[in-house]
Order: sequence, then structure tokens, then C-alpha cells
Amino acid sequence: MFNTTLLNKTKHMRHFLLLISLLVTTITSAQNTSIGTNEKLTFSASYNMSGLLTELAEVTMETSEVKTSTSTLLKLKCTAVTYSKWDSFFKIRDLYESYVSPKSLTPYLYKRDIYEGGYEKFMQYKFKHKTKTVESIKRKKRRDGTTWEEKKKLTIGSSTKDIVTTIYTIRNLDIYKASLGDSQVFKIIFDNEEYLINIKYLNKETINTNIGKKECYKLAISINNSTVLKGSNDNLLWLTADANKIPVYAKFKIPVGNGELKIKSATGLKN
Amino acid sequence: MKKLVIVLGFISAILAVILAVTPLSKIAYIPGVMALIIGILAMYLTKEKQNSKKSIQLIFLLTIIALTLTTYKTIFNTVEVGDTEELQEKENESQEEAIEELEGLEIDEADFE
Repeated sequence: MFNTTLLNKTKHMRHFLLLISLLVTTITSAQNTSIGTNEKLTFSASYNMSGLLTELAEVTMETSEVKTSTSTLLKLKCTAVTYSKWDSFFKIRDLYESYVSPKSLTPYLYKRDIYEGGYEKFMQYKFKHKTKTVESIKRKKRRDGTTWEEKKKLTIGSSTKDIVTTIYTIRNLDIYKASLGDSQVFKIIFDNEEYLINIKYLNKETINTNIGKKECYKLAISINNSTVLKGSNDNLLWLTADANKIPVYAKFKIPVGNGELKIKSATGLKN
Repeated sequence: MKKLVIVLGFISAILAVILAVTPLSKIAYIPGVMALIIGILAMYLTKEKQNSKKSIQLIFLLTIIALTLTTYKTIFNTVEVGDTEELQEKENESQEEAIEELEGLEIDEADFE
């Protein structure tokens, strides 16, 4: 009798310890260790059809500090600008911004202002983490030049983030702790809808980039309830296997050929 | 058979010319090379019978124009970003607006300790 209670106690103890260790790992991984405050990454996006590479646009990912009267936030900014030879055919001027906490990368405000070949759209999300809601504003331009606006209040999951923050959160994961084949699911909000993104750690690979030969973590990305990205292991992301985890190369499968994102320069790194 | 080959040759040659003019010029190599092969095949087919070679010459001419233009573009066109002044302005405006929005937002102080 005495023995069984002791056994039960140790069992409970073990569960408790496991829970504690789990909690500790989630807390440590929530700290920002890889993203600097004045970081600038420049990429070249291109379309690849049977080895014939056509460069389309320049993509940048920048971070900076933004001060309000009460707090200092980290601004994450992504832009996409087509190269001048494309401007008369299909001009893209996209701006994605997210204002997050510099410590935990929790988003507070997300803005998306896009111009794609005459199509204009503006989206804004204000995150209210206490009530787990998002106030969204959508603004679109009509053909005749007038704009219309739509305001909505959406309920989101407690871990749902916007797309920009999610990219940076992936960089902040403790991948060195993961073993091959591990995957993690992220919830993102895009176009007023929630999507599940699945990130799978495939293997380590050394690749040549414009910023030198780098050992990288190779990750596969898939979106659960969407048809944007096709194939299971065809959408890949390479993050450098160091403390900065810079995305150096990405490959996306599209119906004809594939899209590529290659790094051109990286400055202002944290580590 | 000969007619079909010539028609195919024309289609790929014209496609090569159209693609060569667009910024997607590198892809013009695919129909360009195809047109060359078809052109040679058509030439071989017409050799046996004494027929006019005008159409085949035209295929070659179009293909050569397309390939020269594409090669020229690949060598001399540098990739650079066009005017970004508008975007820069948009960015500055956006940040100012964002700061105003953020002032009104409840920000969890625990995040900033």
C-alpha cells in the first residue's frame, strides 16, 4: 500500500517536472535572440523556368526602432519593388509593416499597403491580445478611382500572428534543439482569415550565397487550408545555421517553373 | 508533313520574337532553339523535293532576330530598381499614422520589462 502511493507520487512528480521543463522551453524560445534593431536584408526575387532565370523584383526586410510616448516597439518592414524593366508591364510597390514588441515579437499593429499592376489594397490589423480580437480595416480602390472601406472585428486564436511577424518568429525558433523531421504549426491571419502554416525541419545543408558559403537549416513550408503553395516539400526556406538565422534562399513551386528568393546583402545583424 | 513542320516553325519563331521583346526575354531561348531545330528539319525535308525555301528562310530570319535581341538584352541589361520615391513617401506617412494608432493601443507592459 505504502509502496503504491510512493510510486504514484513519483509519477506525479515526473509529470510535474515534465510540465515545468516544457514551460521553461516555451518561455526561452519566446525571447528574441536573432533579430537586430537596425537589420537590413536585401533579396532578389526571380522566376526560374528550366534554368532560365529572370529577375523580377527586389525584396527587402528591414527592422527599426519606433518610439511612442509610452513604449519602444520594433518595426518590421518588408517591401517588394519590381526592377525598372518590369515597371511599364507590371509595376509592383508593396509595403508590409508590423509593429511588435522587441522582446517577445508579439504583434500590435500590422499594415499592408500594396500596389500590383494597377491593383491597390490596404489592410490594417490592430491586435488586442487581452480580448483575443483584431480590429481590421480593409481599403480598396475601385476602377473609377474611388475607394471603399470595410471595418471588421475578428476573433483570433491566442497565438495568431500576422504574416510578417510569423516570418521573423520562424527565424527566432531554437532550431538547433529540433531534430530532423520535427515540425511546428503557426497560425497566421491574412485577408481577414486564419491560416495554419506548417514548418518542417528537413536537414542541414551547406549552400553558396552572395554573402558567402553558409551552413543552413533547410525548412519546408506548407499552408493547410490554401491553394497558394502547392506540393508538400516543394516550398523551401534556407536559414543560416548560426545565431542570426538569416533567410538566405527560398524556393516556391508555381504551376510553370518556380520562384526563387536569393539574398543579395545583409547588414546590421544582431550576432 | 512539310506544311505542318513549317507551321510549327513559324509559331515558335513568332513566339520567340514576342518573348524577346518582353522583359521575360530569357525565356525566348526555348522557342528560339525549337524554331532553329524545326527550321533545319524543314530544310532537310524540302531538299528532297524541289520546293520554294522562302518560308523556311523567314523562320530562320525571325529566329535569328529573336535570339540576337535576347542575347543582347541578357548581356547589356542591368537589373536595377526603378523610382521608389513614392514608396518612400508612403513608408514615412505609414509610420506616422502607425505611431498615432499605437498611442491608442493597450500595450502589454510585461513585454517590455
